[in-house]
Amino acid sequence: MTAATTPYRTSQRSVSDSFARLVHAEWTKFRTLRGWVLAVIAAVVLIDVFGLLVVNSGGIQCSQGSGAACLPSVPTGPGGEAVNDSFYFVRQPLPGAGSLTVQVTSLTGMISAQTGGFIGQHGPAGLTTGLVPWAKAGIIIAASTRQGSAYAAMMVTGSHGVRMQYDYTSDIAGLPGAVSAAAPAWLRLVRSGDTITGYDSASGSRWTQIGVAHLPGLTGTVQAGLFAASPLEFTPNFPSYGESGGSLTGSLATGVFDHVRLQGGVTGGWTGQNIGRGGAGYDGPLIGYRQAGGKLTVTGSGDIGPVVSGSANTSYDTVTIADHLLGVFIGLVILVVIAAMFITVEYRRGLIRTTLAASPRRGRLLAAKAVIVGLVTFAAGSVAAAIAVIVGKVVSRGGGAYVLPVGALTEVRVILGVGALLAVTAVLALSIGTVLRRSVVTVAAVIIALVLPYILGVAGILPAAAAQWVLRITPAAAFAIEQSVPQYHQVIGQYGPPDYFPLAPWAGFAVLCGYAAASLALAAWLLRRRDV
Amino acid sequence: MEATIEVAGLRKRFGSALALDGMTFTVQPGQVTGFVGPNGAGKTTTMRVILGLDAPDAGRALIGGQSYPKLRRPLSQIGALLDAAAVQPGRTARNHLLWLAHSQGMSRRRVDQVLEQAGLASVARRKAGGYSLGMRQRLGIAAAMLGDPPVLMLDEPFNGMDPEGIVWMRGFLRSLAAEGRAVLVSSHLMSELQDTADHLVVAGRGKVIADAAVADLIAAASGDTVLLRTSGRVEAMTALTHAGATVAATGKDTLTISGLAAGQVVTLLNQAGIGFSEVAAHRASLEQAYMDLTRDAVEFRAQPAQEGTVR
Amino acid sequence: MNLTTTTGSTLPRSAGPAAAAQATGLPDALRAEWTKLRTLPGTGWILATLGALTIAVGAGTDSATRCATAVSCTLDTTKVSLTGIEAGQAVVAVLAVLIITGEYSTGMIAATFTAMPRRWVVLAAKAAVLTGMVLAASTVAVAGSLTAGRIILAANGLIPAHGFALVSVSHGPTVRAAVGSVLYLALVGLFSLGVATIVRDSAAATGAVLGLLYVAPIVALFLGSNPVWQHRLERYSPVNAGLAIQNTIGLQHQPIGPWGGIGVLAVWASAALLIAGLQLRLRDA
Repeated sequence: MTAATTPYRTSQRSVSDSFARLVHAEWTKFRTLRGWVLAVIAAVVLIDVFGLLVVNSGGIQCSQGSGAACLPSVPTGPGGEAVNDSFYFVRQPLPGAGSLTVQVTSLTGMISAQTGGFIGQHGPAGLTTGLVPWAKAGIIIAASTRQGSAYAAMMVTGSHGVRMQYDYTSDIAGLPGAVSAAAPAWLRLVRSGDTITGYDSASGSRWTQIGVAHLPGLTGTVQAGLFAASPLEFTPNFPSYGESGGSLTGSLATGVFDHVRLQGGVTGGWTGQNIGRGGAGYDGPLIGYRQAGGKLTVTGSGDIGPVVSGSANTSYDTVTIADHLLGVFIGLVILVVIAAMFITVEYRRGLIRTTLAASPRRGRLLAAKAVIVGLVTFAAGSVAAAIAVIVGKVVSRGGGAYVLPVGALTEVRVILGVGALLAVTAVLALSIGTVLRRSVVTVAAVIIALVLPYILGVAGILPAAAAQWVLRITPAAAFAIEQSVPQYHQVIGQYGPPDYFPLAPWAGFAVLCGYAAASLALAAWLLRRRDV
Repeated sequence: MEATIEVAGLRKRFGSALALDGMTFTVQPGQVTGFVGPNGAGKTTTMRVILGLDAPDAGRALIGGQSYPKLRRPLSQIGALLDAAAVQPGRTARNHLLWLAHSQGMSRRRVDQVLEQAGLASVARRKAGGYSLGMRQRLGIAAAMLGDPPVLMLDEPFNGMDPEGIVWMRGFLRSLAAEGRAVLVSSHLMSELQDTADHLVVAGRGKVIADAAVADLIAAASGDTVLLRTSGRVEAMTALTHAGATVAATGKDTLTISGLAAGQVVTLLNQAGIGFSEVAAHRASLEQAYMDLTRDAVEFRAQPAQEGTVR
Repeated sequence: MNLTTTTGSTLPRSAGPAAAAQATGLPDALRAEWTKLRTLPGTGWILATLGALTIAVGAGTDSATRCATAVSCTLDTTKVSLTGIEAGQAVVAVLAVLIITGEYSTGMIAATFTAMPRRWVVLAAKAAVLTGMVLAASTVAVAGSLTAGRIILAANGLIPAHGFALVSVSHGPTVRAAVGSVLYLALVGLFSLGVATIVRDSAAATGAVLGLLYVAPIVALFLGSNPVWQHRLERYSPVNAGLAIQNTIGLQHQPIGPWGGIGVLAVWASAALLIAGLQLRLRDA
């Protein structure tokens, strides 16, 4: 036989770019296996079923009945966050510019003698002397007496020295130490338009500027005066990291003020008002103010500050939008299985040889696979999280639980963050699957890397400090992306998962991305190097 | 692009086993090249190296002058069937071909064409997991044909095929070669290639032990022996020996003659007046030629490999 | 199967032709499964990982644990030492899943069932061999964890003088926790084997087993808004219930007692194996 025949020319021509072709091929591979498509749908359904039905099926009981009837009306601050705004206010109107100066000579307090007692009680039964760390008394300039209005305040606290706080979330430290008649603290607020500047002084002659607050809502006549408040004291059930519930104890605080001087006032007389009736703390006969010998004594209960999650400083039940995302763990396990199989079944069936014969550039093949598992899981995760969060808010409210409001951007970040978390986890599973080529070990490795640290971190097994480290350095750090409400150092709360994490949302997510990138690089290197 | 496969000096070691030991051959267009050899001769490894799946320790494999990973759209240049069982059982045959087509930027229409060509059109929407081995072979052929490539490389395509399928496959391979394509078909059973291959590459112990046209191989194995059936055995032996031939008695009335062509034998016998009932030039079967060649190259026999090639 | 080819001296009843008519029984199946598992590359590594991971996670937890006095924080020293079981159970699950799904993915299951047509015997043999291996490896893991706990926790000041029990074999509840933890891992293995036999696919089976083992405790942990279900999960989910065996103090405050808890896990394991056995009978291999 001779080679006289004309060589054959292929009839098949292509126009599209080669990487786009690869991604298209991998997408076809993915969508033509019904089992995988159904599993992704199942993951979405389970994320939502567990997020909505299981977590919030227990309705809340209260004196008004149950469910939605128990929903409290919660004030929100100028930033839109839920706030506690309950204190005793001794005030005068301040029509324009002016300043308010006082000397605080004493801050004392009382706590219910019984842990968990005192809530909603109106009598002085079972009181014991004691000052909670963030009991506060001082001077305040507020836009109005309406709860949630803009304000700035200088205050002495139970055990955190002098502070300047404004608009519920901001807190700046001033002079340290407790006050007494021998070591009084001088406080001053100066108003000029919508700007309030806070000062403190140990002597009353040399003043230190603590902070400047620009409060856009502070126009026209505002209320200036003295206040006292004392937050609910939170005792967790277990000394573990993570939310485990606890009990609240009511308290009250009394501040003694001397040398009270208001410049710019018009009436000259003080009016006392119990704003918010002490929250759910003490609302009995001790609340009020006395004026004697040039001194003003103010006693109040409650708090001026942000509400934190886990019902740690509110008498009503709160949930966060992230509390509806418990099902993400189940979805994660399913999607990890799919992502691992996307590569390991090719090895098991020998299909990888057909794939690599069709697309010999192996790094690009791995990239195309990562794009597909990433996009599929991102879409599935985002859709599931959107349903869980949006419907979850309605379900929770229907059950009588107050959902802590968050900004639209935060909500979008949490929803897309779940998608991104699942997508990067899927890429991690794909990479480890490429390295190990065995589905069982791959699935186990990824679950151990993501879920086990979370359990060890939050189940009270590890002490809090170690638990926080586990959630900083393992891939489980990425669950921080679900955190919807910030942690406040000026509010005692239960700052642990599922609502709070030791790393900032994007920082935690970056930790997972680091692991995924490293394993993807290793996978690409091995795939190029190895025979198949 | 030249429709050829060029393999030069391939070496590959898996642990202590030497899989390829200088494998060298070229596959030409317009013919079916059989790639034969006993189990473990290195046929599959060679094919994997050609497809860029395994990296050789030394040597190179080129398709139309290019190494496989450099091919821009590989399936339009070489179609391969390596392992027919390598399909995802849950995926239909049509969808299996569809992702392959998409990886080359080809359309759904092409998938239907090759399904038709491979005789799978009626079962294309069934899950590949339910296919018999023969059907999977056809699916593998369809996948290899997807890019309408000028070069085809099929590893043991007759495995698991029923007699009808084998006939179909032979005709199919012949028609591909007739179109001017280069076709490389491996097999460990020479009989499968008997009427199909034009050219043979015989491998043993990781190297080529014969690389020749089928006709030449058969001639070489047959030698120039002539079979003679005659009642005058003794007279014939005397006459032929005198003429310079080597004669051996192989039966009561049969002789095997070498050193003389059949025509010369007839002329001599007629001159000597010796009657005969049959004179036939002996043709060895391909199987026999193959067995002769590979006798020493069978892997699981502890003998040094025989060097050298026929012709 | 030609039984006469097996060594007649150790298996006398198969020595004669008459024995060939006899069905293959559990002892044959056991020997076969033992050989299979023993010669599977990776079994040794998996068992070594079980020991190493359990002890390492336990020792890590021990060294992170600090507590001034038993009054300021209640701490179960034995339970802390055995934290590694949380990680070790995943390794046991992997081994159990591989034992059965490895046969399905390679098609070897057909050969196995051809040689031993009574499928439940095969499952029982696999269960027995798995249990034996897990018991042996987890005894080492638990002993190592307790030793590490005794040394590291004492070094951290968690000593009887401060109100903490010393991890010791003479302490009844500690012995219960130790034996129970070994038992726990064996039961997790059986449970995983059952689930994997039902699911068949290796990746899906791993996901199913580890999902049940790890996700249920997380759900239980954060189900504060639904105390009824929280309590049910704590009592009846395999891990929450099973690990109750590790408690040595404050038993009256636990949702379930030590032996009751391990009993719950045993019910899970038996149910999984029972369903798996039924499935094997009813389904094509």
